[in-house]
Amino acid sequence: MTERGDGHARGRLLPALALFMLLAGGALAVAFVAYPSPVASHSSPAGNVGGWRESPVPPLVEPAFVPPKPRLLGRPRDVFWYSPVRRPAAARAAPDLSAPAVAALATRTPEGTENIVLVLGRARGDDGRLWVHVRLAVHPNSRTGWVPRAALGGYSAVHTRLVVDIERLTATLYRAGRAVFRARIGVGRAEWPTPKGEFYIRNKLTRYATPFYGPLAFGTSARSSGLTDWPAGGFIGIHGTNRPDLLPGRVSHGCIRLRNEDILELGRLMAVGTPVTIR
Amino acid sequence: MDDLTLHEVDEDGAIREAFAAVSGNTRAEFLGKMVVGGSALLAALTAPGAAQALPPARRDVAILNYALSLEYLQAAFYTETERVGGLSGAIARVPRQVGAVERAHVAAIQKVLGHGAVKKPAFNFRGVTEQQAPFLRTAVAFEDLAVAAYKGAAAGIRSPGFLAAALSIHSVEARHAAWMRYLIGIRPAASPFDEPKPQGEVRNIVASTHFIVSKPRMTARRKAPRYTG
Repeated sequence: MTERGDGHARGRLLPALALFMLLAGGALAVAFVAYPSPVASHSSPAGNVGGWRESPVPPLVEPAFVPPKPRLLGRPRDVFWYSPVRRPAAARAAPDLSAPAVAALATRTPEGTENIVLVLGRARGDDGRLWVHVRLAVHPNSRTGWVPRAALGGYSAVHTRLVVDIERLTATLYRAGRAVFRARIGVGRAEWPTPKGEFYIRNKLTRYATPFYGPLAFGTSARSSGLTDWPAGGFIGIHGTNRPDLLPGRVSHGCIRLRNEDILELGRLMAVGTPVTIR
Repeated sequence: MDDLTLHEVDEDGAIREAFAAVSGNTRAEFLGKMVVGGSALLAALTAPGAAQALPPARRDVAILNYALSLEYLQAAFYTETERVGGLSGAIARVPRQVGAVERAHVAAIQKVLGHGAVKKPAFNFRGVTEQQAPFLRTAVAFEDLAVAAYKGAAAGIRSPGFLAAALSIHSVEARHAAWMRYLIGIRPAASPFDEPKPQGEVRNIVASTHFIVSKPRMTARRKAPRYTG
């Protein structure tokens, strides 16, 4: 572009700039007159801010309740899971339908309660099926097996575990790793020893008419090795007694006997599904 | 017994009472209708016309119990997923964080309803809490359902305070829904408008999952022990 050309352009630009300034100034003046200040618009429910015309909105409604602050789950020391058996199934030695069956699982216990198993872990089989590793209530004691997830019901958690010490004749209940109950007990005589191993509580019976078992009886997954022909299969119970004078001692057919006040206290503290260690 | 029937889930009648309140029946009238089969009965209970006849306070309580039932389901789902510990990587943090929020919803609604709150049922999540892909798919379904359910119920809430509270939960469920959708790789907001779902439809969807089950009976009365003694 030449010098002459530049002069022509400058000559056209100056009037245009002057006209723009004039129009802009006029628009600002109109805006100040026509619209109230921001302070004024806040004080008016139907006011305007920067050209935004507010609608008449009702005042804010306070919620009738507000959820509390979310709380993350703690990390309890002891969490044990159990599940009811929802349909009869074979427990297998491995998470595989072709693995040997180690036990047949029924949906009911001999006492008519729903049969449960203690959940130890899980794995996906080669066929993509989800399997659950469970503790079983079968001979030999402490046996475990794998069950298709589909044969089980919902999971429930317990936070207690019971430790039975045959040598010291004590039963101690732990919750979150802390002892919350301890009592002296009776255990099996030499000819009918209380089995040692890892077990769990399967059910709880109350209000029966047999004073021999006291006011409350827990059924365990443990089974007597000597009394296999006992009615219902020789399961070991944890129960009260009508002979508290014999406790503590080696006095039973394998069951764990407590004084009646102790079994009632244990009944209040210990849930079905609680793991039991007998050592 | 895995199939949901109202009798199994609701042993003490609390849920039936809540739905009877929505439908305008007295408890006795409602129990009289229990001879009708499950899903037909549930559909009848959620007829929208019947709900209009109720006084506002009673109906708000019924709607809050409906919301509580959904919150129980979600809270139990995330809590079990976290406790079971079957997820891995960054996804494993999801049930921990979302579960805490859903439990807060449960606590808030329970507190408002007091003794009128429906009781928490038992659940069987059938393995979806133990595997990553089924967990995420179910989480998307639950969050989308909760959003649609709150939206469907909101118009029936009479108290402005309860409506404000329900909306404050509804928007959180919507955020969860978007989050879960993002994690599974589907669009967080698929359409410009969300459709509400009526109560009957929501209940049928929940029932079809068979996640709500009867509590296992592990205690027995008047049954003589046969332990070795």
